Amino acid sequence: MDNDVCDACGLCMPLCPPAAIHMTRRGLVVDAVTCTGCEKCIAPCPVGALAMADAHR
Amino acid sequence: MRTADVLVVGAGPAGCVAASEAAAAGAGDVLLIERDRAIGSPVRCAEGVGSAGLREFLDPNGAPWVSRRITRVIFIAPDDTQVQLAEGDVGYVLDRTRFEPLLAERAARSGATIRISTEAVGLERADGPGGGHWRVRLRGPGGEETVTARVVIGADGVETMVGRWAGLETRVAARDMESCAQYVVGNIEFDPDAIYLHFGPGVAPGGYAWIFPKGVGVANVGIGVVTLRGDGRTVRQYLDDYVARHFPHATVTGLTVGGVISGVTVKRTVTDGLLLAGDAAHMINPLSGGGIINAMKAGRLAGRHAARAIGEGDTSARNLQAYHDEWMKLLGDSHAMYYKLKEAINKYDDDFFNRLARTVNRIPLEKRTLGRVVSSALVHHPSLVPIAAQLFVQEFV
Repeated sequence: MDNDVCDACGLCMPLCPPAAIHMTRRGLVVDAVTCTGCEKCIAPCPVGALAMADAHR
Repeated sequence: MRTADVLVVGAGPAGCVAASEAAAAGAGDVLLIERDRAIGSPVRCAEGVGSAGLREFLDPNGAPWVSRRITRVIFIAPDDTQVQLAEGDVGYVLDRTRFEPLLAERAARSGATIRISTEAVGLERADGPGGGHWRVRLRGPGGEETVTARVVIGADGVETMVGRWAGLETRVAARDMESCAQYVVGNIEFDPDAIYLHFGPGVAPGGYAWIFPKGVGVANVGIGVVTLRGDGRTVRQYLDDYVARHFPHATVTGLTVGGVISGVTVKRTVTDGLLLAGDAAHMINPLSGGGIINAMKAGRLAGRHAARAIGEGDTSARNLQAYHDEWMKLLGDSHAMYYKLKEAINKYDDDFFNRLARTVNRIPLEKRTLGRVVSSALVHHPSLVPIAAQLFVQEFV
């Protein structure tokens, strides 16, 4: 999650099957433990703030 | 520990109306919480509403929360052919930074308590007599606290967690998520009394582009795209390309992004002591993407049923189910029909929309009703007939 680009719109949250994306005071945060790497959140992000981290590739 | 009879999570159109109605119907202690620091901000919306729906709740004449009255709808085909439809009392473009605070004030006047900068961070069920209650963890300026509520109304929008915490299925498939981006744009020419809807997979796959006037020369210009049907661009890139092509001299003074769920109402909107309303329950017209009036109508039902259930001393899912049933009859079932229509339309290419626009433009303006437009679409595209027939039965019989 690139929080410099993310607008915290929350669009990705209902797309996430394990609910691994959380809204916090400092913006959206992906929980690396529960994230399954399914990538369903990446393309729909309006501003392209989401990308898969190397650890998940 | 703070207790409430009804806890409403989210002070958008659904939550504000739900809190108003619950308090007015005698629910007792109604608490409305809003995560953001200001009700109505930030705006994540094109702000358009139909006139008839709005007037069920408020009188828009001369209201300070109206940006613009709309008297015309103009469809634009992919090849830029314009088709004017619907002349008259069509609708309004709101100023939601002023509209929602008004709705919240009405809730307060009905007796609800409002807390801003306060979010729900989790909830758990405690069974007991009369249907039990929920223990909801809140986080606000004063730290964390737990509120015990007999009924929780989840009006927490597209990003809803209330439903998921309570075990309701509110996940959205990628094919039902429209990614939206919108600029506030100045220095462009358009009819300030019209909204423009620009269709076609080449323009906005799975959605459409729009121009909603905020005033003379200033408009919300946006685009909604199902990225699953797109070409790999983000919707922000789609918007930049759209504005560059159609409004090369535009000045951009604001950006809004967000998601519009273009599916149908979730299968279960209630569980023991809990109801979902508005975007949180996917109560959006999947064809138009319109959600504000839908949310207010759902909030009205949710508030009334919450109060009724509390009054009857039975807040079980079985007793709250009447809310779901009433919503489905009011709008949920027709949303399912619009979804089918949208699916059918999605199969057509830009050429279909271009030909349709030229056919409709041959109908004189004063005779150009939606019925005639649909008829001409059906003459040229018989595969739409079964869906349209269902829709007409649903809407007019």
